[in-house]
Amino acid sequence: MEIAYVAVIILFCLGIYTIITKKNLIKIVFGVTIVESSLILLLMLVGYKPDGTAPILDKEYEIVVDPIPQALALTTVVIGGSVTAVMLVMVIKIHRRYRTLNIDEIRKLRG
Amino acid sequence: MEAAVWVIILPLLTAFFLGISKLYFKRIFFYLVTGSAIIYLYILIIVITHSYPPKVYSIGDWGLLGINVMVDPFSGLFLLMIAILFLPFIIFSMKYNKFLKHDYFIFAYLMVAGISGMVLTTDLFNLYVFMEVSTLSSCALSLYKKTDRGIEGTFKYLIMSTLGSFFILLATILTYYLTGTLNMAEIPLAFEDIPFKIKSTMMTLFVFGYAIKIGLIPLHAWLPDAYEDSPIPYNVLSSGLVLKSAVYALIRVLYIMFGIDFLDESGMLTIGVFWGVITFLIAHCLAFQQSNLNRLLAYSSIAQIAYIMIGLFVGTEAGLIAGSFHILNHAIMKGTLFLVVGIFSYSLNAVEKKDIKGLGYKFPILSFTFVVASLAIVGLPPFNGFMSKWLIVEAALEAGFVYAAFFILVGTFLSLTYYLKVIVTLYTKNEEELLIEEPSLSLKLPTFFLGSLCIVFGMVPSLPLNLITKIPTFLLDNGDYIRILLGG
Amino acid sequence: MSRLNEVFKKLYKIGLVVTFAYFLLFLFYDIHNLDNNRKRYLSAHYISEGVQETGAINLVASVLYDYRAFDTLGEATMILTAATVLAFLVPISKATTFGTTFKSIVKQTVKLILPYLAVLGTYLILFGHVSPGGGFVGGVVLSIIAILLTITYSVEFSEYIVKPDQKKLVEDIGAIGFVLLGLLGVFTGSNFLANGQAYFGTGNAGEVFSAGLIPFINVMIGLKVGAGLAIIFNSLIKEK
Repeated sequence: MEIAYVAVIILFCLGIYTIITKKNLIKIVFGVTIVESSLILLLMLVGYKPDGTAPILDKEYEIVVDPIPQALALTTVVIGGSVTAVMLVMVIKIHRRYRTLNIDEIRKLRG
Repeated sequence: MEAAVWVIILPLLTAFFLGISKLYFKRIFFYLVTGSAIIYLYILIIVITHSYPPKVYSIGDWGLLGINVMVDPFSGLFLLMIAILFLPFIIFSMKYNKFLKHDYFIFAYLMVAGISGMVLTTDLFNLYVFMEVSTLSSCALSLYKKTDRGIEGTFKYLIMSTLGSFFILLATILTYYLTGTLNMAEIPLAFEDIPFKIKSTMMTLFVFGYAIKIGLIPLHAWLPDAYEDSPIPYNVLSSGLVLKSAVYALIRVLYIMFGIDFLDESGMLTIGVFWGVITFLIAHCLAFQQSNLNRLLAYSSIAQIAYIMIGLFVGTEAGLIAGSFHILNHAIMKGTLFLVVGIFSYSLNAVEKKDIKGLGYKFPILSFTFVVASLAIVGLPPFNGFMSKWLIVEAALEAGFVYAAFFILVGTFLSLTYYLKVIVTLYTKNEEELLIEEPSLSLKLPTFFLGSLCIVFGMVPSLPLNLITKIPTFLLDNGDYIRILLGG
Repeated sequence: MSRLNEVFKKLYKIGLVVTFAYFLLFLFYDIHNLDNNRKRYLSAHYISEGVQETGAINLVASVLYDYRAFDTLGEATMILTAATVLAFLVPISKATTFGTTFKSIVKQTVKLILPYLAVLGTYLILFGHVSPGGGFVGGVVLSIIAILLTITYSVEFSEYIVKPDQKKLVEDIGAIGFVLLGLLGVFTGSNFLANGQAYFGTGNAGEVFSAGLIPFINVMIGLKVGAGLAIIFNSLIKEK
């Protein structure tokens, strides 16, 4: 159980590292999605209970996991997806104008 | 308080209907946009006048189980800003954008819906959702010209503000983990028996996330780039509302969730004031070097928001009043400046400092408006900027932040230098014949309206202060806020 | 010298991230050691009373479309914003074809699969409140129809079957329908987005026609998400 939280931290920091060091625009977008998925994993962990079942009550169950983080996770997925789509189309636009994805070269071309 | 929820729904509905009107009924576009803006103004006025005492509206009638919407004087101030800026913005951009208007107004309405949602909601996760709505539509507006610089600057903007929202989301999830609720009234009650260490680290995450969105130095790099090549009416709303809404969320989270005592204890107030001082000193110096008017005004926005931060983080009643008053005044002054620059760029494509040489004689009244607004933003009497800046200095002295008060005076001189440079360029004789497209009344009228507000609020500060003086009641002591939210 | 500078910069960034990781580790450790399971009264209430109060067996659906329906309105707006941005950035006329063309076996298989996908998407949407699924999932499945058409045939064919304008219209109708369903609560004298409180009978939990407005909101969200994702995918494909 504790190991999953460590995974969240590793993913989060890996994503942040990707965003602040990589020069390639696509890789930056990857970093954003990595951070986002680490947060979704965290949401799942927050709602988790040992031996719990999915919050669909068509039979009697002893333990049911927390439904709120799951709803929040769905919202986060949708928001992250929309933001990623907008980022990607901007990357495509930038690539078409400058024919490169490297930040340094774009800065040079721009002058 | 049915009208409160209409403040959020009406712009959303308008945006959705505009999407259909773009496809099939192009003719009703004008009536839809202006009619909705006027009805919206009416609803806003109703909500603002009923903002004291605060009212709670429960969405879905779930009470504390669901999401609540609350109008209190602090959110009333932001609704007042929307009311002042939105109709002039609509009238101005009708003329300013020569083509492809539908998408522009869809994004504008979505952005206003997001901001009003942020301002009204009392749920932590809902705040995040509406913040994302306003950010994404704000990005859409900022790349509206589809130029190279516009898209590049917007990419930076989107990356940075998404990074900021991730920190905010992380803190939100951890808050839920710790307290089991997302309601802003129940969180402070549950926070009482959480250890100091955890609370202060949570606060750090929140502050870091919002500081990126506000654009405090050294996290400001995206802001001038995003402003550089965006449609200028958008800059009015962006510096007036989008940045301020992040300030609103930060203040709401800190003062309501953590409480003033905790802020004092953990030293956040001192850090906030110090950060503000550093920010405006550097931002003024950077603004001095700019040749592009949009970038100059963007750096000036960063500096002015630093003043607001100082006012709000002083932690006394006077400080909150002063900071809130400066929020309103800065929206008006910066709006006027951006609109005048917008008219210059509309009539002769001038956005560089050297392009506006001699325009003071071609557009006498407009240039006078520019001078009034820039003197107001520098903080000279008798304009509104002077009033609020004076209040901030007074509050800082009262609370013992003498160095902040001193540096605000230094900052005033720094800002005077670069605004004077622009004004002098404006009134330097230029022999060249310029090809000028005469701006129409619908461009001038909003500008004069905002410009005259600079003078009116400077002469009669009691008009907005009637609302603003009630703000500290529900912010400084979070007990009243919590009681109303739990009881309503 | 500049090389050293580069190395130093990289080390600085790595150090920053590692420090932050330590910081998070201690935060998580402290939070984990705190005994905070007693405080979940909200989720306990949802689990024990949710089925009676909303009529939906799927508790995630009841949280998403009833307790916290306002969040869902916000995220539906996000998809609409993204779809509008993409449609606005990508010119309408331009379309490029793929380098590869598929054999007829792929095309025939896709033709066979499509009706099943339509049925699956509709099932997921309509039974969202009694079984796993819901508007978002069903909408994604529906949008896969358009995506498969685009991949196997071409963008032109996909847009000939369902015009971009029609997709946009469906998306807007979904969004407007959601808000109007919410306003029904206001018209019946209750609050915005009210369901059980506004006397839309929650019915017998477990039946298809139960849970008041939730199935209808599911349909609206399904339309919106399906159309929105199809617009987003086609716009991304069209941009060379």
